[in-house]
Amino acid sequence: RLLRYPLNIMSNQSNGNIIQLEDGWNNVIKKGAIDVLERTLDDGFDTSFEPREYIRIYTTCYDMCTQRSPYNWSRDLYTRHGETIEAYLRNTVLPALQDKTGQGGTILLNELKHRWSNHQIMNKWLKKFFTYLDRYYVKHHSLPTLEQAGLQHFKTEIYQNSKENTTSAIISLIDEEREGEIIDKTLVKSIVELYESMGMGSLESYSTDLETPLLDATRAYYGRKREDWIAKDSTPDYLIKAEKALGDEKTRVVEYLNPSTEMKIRKVVEDEILQKVQMNLLEKEGSGCSVLLANDKTEDLQRMFKLFSRLDSGLQPMANIVEKFITSQGNSCIDKRQARLDSGEKDKNDDPEFVKSLIDLHEKYLGVIRETFASHHLFQKALKNSFEEIVNNDVGQYSNAELMSTFCDRILKSGGEKLSETEVEQSLDRIVQLFSFLTDKDLFAEIYRNQLAKRLLNQRSASDDAEKAMIAKLKVQCGTQFTSKMEGMLNDLAVGSEQKSEFDQRMEQQEDTKLSFGVQVLTIGNWPSYKAPEVALPPQMSKCMEVFKEWHDNKHQKRRLTWVHSLGNASVRATYGKKSYDLQVTTLQAVVLNAFNDGQTYGFTELKEKLNFDDITLKPLMHSLSCGKHKVISKSPASNKITSNDSFSPNAKFTCNMRKIRIPVASVESSHNKSRVEEDRSVAIEAAIVRIMKARKTLSHQQLVAEVLSQLAFFKPQPRVIKKRIEALIDREYLERSSENSQQYNYLA
Amino acid sequence: WEPTKKPAEIQKEEWMAGCHKLQLDSVDKFKKLLPSLDTGFMDREEFGDFYKFCFQFNRSGTHKTLDKDLVVALLKMCLTGGRIQSERLNTYCDFLETTKDESYSKITLDQWRSFLDFSYEYPDADALEKYDESQSAWPVLIDEYCEHMEKLGKKK
Repeated sequence: RLLRYPLNIMSNQSNGNIIQLEDGWNNVIKKGAIDVLERTLDDGFDTSFEPREYIRIYTTCYDMCTQRSPYNWSRDLYTRHGETIEAYLRNTVLPALQDKTGQGGTILLNELKHRWSNHQIMNKWLKKFFTYLDRYYVKHHSLPTLEQAGLQHFKTEIYQNSKENTTSAIISLIDEEREGEIIDKTLVKSIVELYESMGMGSLESYSTDLETPLLDATRAYYGRKREDWIAKDSTPDYLIKAEKALGDEKTRVVEYLNPSTEMKIRKVVEDEILQKVQMNLLEKEGSGCSVLLANDKTEDLQRMFKLFSRLDSGLQPMANIVEKFITSQGNSCIDKRQARLDSGEKDKNDDPEFVKSLIDLHEKYLGVIRETFASHHLFQKALKNSFEEIVNNDVGQYSNAELMSTFCDRILKSGGEKLSETEVEQSLDRIVQLFSFLTDKDLFAEIYRNQLAKRLLNQRSASDDAEKAMIAKLKVQCGTQFTSKMEGMLNDLAVGSEQKSEFDQRMEQQEDTKLSFGVQVLTIGNWPSYKAPEVALPPQMSKCMEVFKEWHDNKHQKRRLTWVHSLGNASVRATYGKKSYDLQVTTLQAVVLNAFNDGQTYGFTELKEKLNFDDITLKPLMHSLSCGKHKVISKSPASNKITSNDSFSPNAKFTCNMRKIRIPVASVESSHNKSRVEEDRSVAIEAAIVRIMKARKTLSHQQLVAEVLSQLAFFKPQPRVIKKRIEALIDREYLERSSENSQQYNYLA
Repeated sequence: WEPTKKPAEIQKEEWMAGCHKLQLDSVDKFKKLLPSLDTGFMDREEFGDFYKFCFQFNRSGTHKTLDKDLVVALLKMCLTGGRIQSERLNTYCDFLETTKDESYSKITLDQWRSFLDFSYEYPDADALEKYDESQSAWPVLIDEYCEHMEKLGKKK
């Protein structure tokens, strides 16, 4: 302990005595400091100096360094400082170490620790004594400081001679610890600190002499382990071991290695136990990735995911397996559908079992990707890719687009699925997710619109809010243009109900008709195209229509109305004997019934002419009235088929328990207009071609096709289809083939 | 014939003027005329114009296309004489005649012209081996012809 002393130090200088070199050295420095130091180190006692002693030695050094030439002994003292240390190391320390070599790693390491510790003490005290040298002599001559010099001597004399054995000893201990043995971590840490110090300000000694051999040994160790484990262990068991090993190595660095080693050792271990057997682990029979997926082994998959995340592009192979697996699951849903069709089940446009199975599959793996794969983008992509494959795989007569639309119809129509509001919302959300994978989105839209129209016009929509919600979801997916017609349809109905009361008032004013009458105005273009044949209506009906037309034309001068009687509904009071019934029928059925008001018998052909119907229209009407559940009209001859030879008359014997009777008619219309979709596609392709060519002026065929495909959001045409559109545009002189290059097109302004 | 600008050559304007003079208003007359003309001296560009003209001349009224049968006859008239390989001409005409595709009952100018250019680029069966539809901008008619030839197992 250096204590502060008053400045008036007893100095030889003050009484004029020159200290001679040998005198000062031998009698004071060596005898009082160095020998004492060496002795206490050897004995193992604490090294300390009496304050008085310390002062005396310090002062002697000081004097010897400040004496005037030729008595300035700075150089000698500096040299002897070094020699002293060197000698001590060579003569005392090194032999002691060499003695301990060959007796086992721990013994050597302990000795080295001891000697290093001693050296640090010695270095410290010598520096204290010779401190004055550091202040002027060292600086003036640009020499290593006392401390640095001391350290360098240790490095040269001791470290360089023992580093190899020391490193081996440490590595052995580490391998033992890896095998589960307990080792003296503090000891190892101290030696590591020695290596660190030997770098003299850099980590080079540590890095070259300890770290590099350690990394090599680590690689060898884990290489052996890997071979051992991979032969015997299932993938999950292997991964548990791998996880533990990585954890252990990380802890090891924290406990006794330099932090800079962490990254390097981690890479070595990851490389040896993960990278090199990645595919092996993923594809292992009986326990590989797809087996784990099949058995919903969440924990094992999570571990696998975390471990492979460590590797560069370590997740892509796993994502590929996930994609394949999900696709195969989807394909088995499709196979099940195919099997049902093959075994004789009727092929309809409605297969809720199938659609639900796809929804459930998607929900399941959405969850898996969230929970097990931390919503990682590669796995999200895998799910997307597999569903794009699955959803566009049609079997049977009806496309999946149609099956999905019908599924929506079930949910949205009244009398369909019985679901709560939240269930409806959830189902619609999920079907829209499935929809997002469809290539032929425009086909879905066409079918959906047709089914929507049926629901709306027949008042079979369960909830206006649900209809709006579904359209909103489609809009989010596909944009405004996609849903504009659907919104138009809802809007037409909304406008209609707003104006209903106004028109009702107008009708009340009308005295010459007692019919209650309502009109739904549809905007052409929003709705599917309907046939509008001219029908010979009874005068009461015509009158109502006239009133409406007048009222409407007053409101909207520029609009033209076309009556579509095939869509209307009517309520007919039918009296059979003493009983009256309210028949809920279509407008056309009402027209037919009205024809029988006179009680006469009419032949089929007669009726046709009288009412101005064609066969296709009249036959189902007559069938519904004379061959259905409620035979309000009787047919002769009696049979289940309508022919042109049949004759009809009111059924005098008709009776029914209910007062209000609905008489349904078979619908003639198909679910959608296939050719409309085709036409719209041709138009869209041509518009895209023209737009692109106008912007680019000249393009190769390949580029044009690629651009067109990227611009078409709602369907994916075959290359030949695109080509035909290009040819059509060449014919109409929008484009030409380049005269220089047969594979290039030019835009013609 | 009137004396032409270059000896033994006919230029398009002169050709057209000549046709008008001869009052070629029916295909038959055209057919009779053609065998007497030797187009062998024309270079590619000139022949191209001639070939295009053959199509345009035979259009009637405001129609932009020609009937397939007429096209086959015209091809056989225009393209004999070594301009393209006779095997090519024959197989193509066979293909046109036997195809059941309704959309080819009429042939467009683009399809007409493309056949010649295509035959320059892919003159024979060996060349057809290298034909790759996925890279091609040729009209679909040509793609289908190549497909037809591939099916026949012989590419000539």
